[in-house]
Amino acid sequence: MLRFWEKRALTGVVTEHRGFENDIAQIRSALKDEVKKRFAGSLAIRMVDSGSCNACEAECNALSNPLYDLERLGIRFVASPRHADVMLLSGVLTFNMYHHVMDAWEQIPEPKWCITLGDCPVMQAPFRQSFAIKGPAEAHLPVAYHIPGCPPSPEVIMRGLLAFLRSLD
Amino acid sequence: MRLIARYAIDRGDAIEVVTRYDETSESVHLDAKAPAISTIATTHPAAIWFERKLSDDFGIFIEGAFDRRPLVHHERFPKNLHPMQKSFAQNTLDFAEFTPYKFEAVGGDGVFEVAVGPIHAGIIEPGHFHFSQAGEDMLHQEVRHFYKYRGIEKMVEGMKLAEAKPIIERISGNESVAYQIAWRDIAAQAAGVEVPLPLRRYHAFLLELERFIHHWIDLGFIPNDAGFGAALAYASRLAEEGRRMMASLSGHRFGFGAVTWRKQRIETKPILAWLERMAKEAAWFEEWIMDIPSLWDRLDTTGRLRHEKAVKYDCVGVVARAGGVPVDVRMTPFYIEHGYRMQTRAHGDVGARFKVRLAEVKNSLEMMHRFLERDAFSMEVSFAKEGRYEAFVESSLGELYMMVEIEDGAIDRFFARDPSFINWQALHLMMPGNIIADFPLINKSCDLSYAGNDL
Repeated sequence: MLRFWEKRALTGVVTEHRGFENDIAQIRSALKDEVKKRFAGSLAIRMVDSGSCNACEAECNALSNPLYDLERLGIRFVASPRHADVMLLSGVLTFNMYHHVMDAWEQIPEPKWCITLGDCPVMQAPFRQSFAIKGPAEAHLPVAYHIPGCPPSPEVIMRGLLAFLRSLD
Repeated sequence: MRLIARYAIDRGDAIEVVTRYDETSESVHLDAKAPAISTIATTHPAAIWFERKLSDDFGIFIEGAFDRRPLVHHERFPKNLHPMQKSFAQNTLDFAEFTPYKFEAVGGDGVFEVAVGPIHAGIIEPGHFHFSQAGEDMLHQEVRHFYKYRGIEKMVEGMKLAEAKPIIERISGNESVAYQIAWRDIAAQAAGVEVPLPLRRYHAFLLELERFIHHWIDLGFIPNDAGFGAALAYASRLAEEGRRMMASLSGHRFGFGAVTWRKQRIETKPILAWLERMAKEAAWFEEWIMDIPSLWDRLDTTGRLRHEKAVKYDCVGVVARAGGVPVDVRMTPFYIEHGYRMQTRAHGDVGARFKVRLAEVKNSLEMMHRFLERDAFSMEVSFAKEGRYEAFVESSLGELYMMVEIEDGAIDRFFARDPSFINWQALHLMMPGNIIADFPLINKSCDLSYAGNDL
């Protein structure tokens, strides 16, 4: 393990885009009361994949690599919808996932928001409407915000989440 | 004989069932009014899902089958509807009444069941795992999938090959380049041209880069699931570097749209320097991780798939190679000349799969060195001859098989078998004797695709 700590000291902090931290500080002060009241100072996200190619999930996983480290902004992914403020929905909403997505949405306590991620849930990806697809998501869910891209890069997702917080003003 | 796929094609008055083995291919024509065929699941257990899918897709009765449950069609899918038949042309489908699905379960005193999914705890694709437990010990597990079933095989019917490409490259995000190369091989066959060497080298470079990224994600997540988060921090940083390299070469972090008939001029110097740096990082990682006994205590002997079982279940990819089964599409003169070395291990456990991945990362870096070429290249390919074309590609998960039949210049039947479709069926063999806390490790060490499997 000594070898690791040596490497760790030599590498230092690799996080990029320190600007995000300023952004969140600004949003925090602007939304101080709101965020405190609604999110207890941090935003909890339940990611639900309703039939994506897995690229959106890979990019959300990349949000926690040392270069982005989303949690430093107080935004984190949680394991249960019951712990979440926001449902982050990716994928085309397949026939087979429809009821499970609706179930997850119902389990999120009020107040809650649905954010769509990537081109699939709004049917902008190259997939055609077919018998196996129930999209677009907004036909079935009250979508509060949309983050476009196929898939949106980690940076775009972070910008999108911050813009969503701003839109709550 | 290794089973590769079993699928059907609607011929109007007949339904053709094709059974593809590694060396031969069998074709049988069934009466379209009452299609029935004998099961081959007794000799090839991996045929079970193919045959259940045949029943769902075409309404074919499987004689002698011991599992007649629907596979692709879930609880609310209308009965007696077979979407892959040519006559099925519904644009929308209404939910039918709920029909419960009977899970495989072990009975007995004190045996209980644990259901996991379809929405899992982390950021992961939807699928369902059903365990039979005796205390901590797993007795049996059933894998249930197809939550992500997007009907892609039907969706691309009637499209031209070029039109279908954006859809095909989005079947599975982690294997996008592999799917695109399969598409390229089919398009080249249909046009009656050979893919020229500069393009083959460039695409092979991208495929190894995709493997590099995918393997690093796993090399981080496997130790992470054993409670060793530092490895994930290290490995996910390298995976991110790979993604950025992919973006700088192809304009997309996952390489969507990267495989075309032209290639830009490449500045090779910075890439060669990057490859050398990555080789050093990989060597450091290996030296570090191999030296942590508490981690290897979790990885060794966990989730073992024995050699004879891997052969019996026709496994492919890392899952097969870690059990000493040398299956790899890259076993060709082209790849061997460019530095490819088959990576196998004997034990077939989580540790062996981890070591195969690490060895493959290092081998990929070597190959990328030799695949890299500076010059630009471009060609025109358009004409698509009628006929049936097949392609094999070694994706980061294993052997990918694709079949396209072209009629009147458009796709008449599209079939893709993701490596996961075979390996998912062998996953339950790795469970008995392990505890449920080892399941995440076992699952992650195989790292199978849900999207590619469900299609």
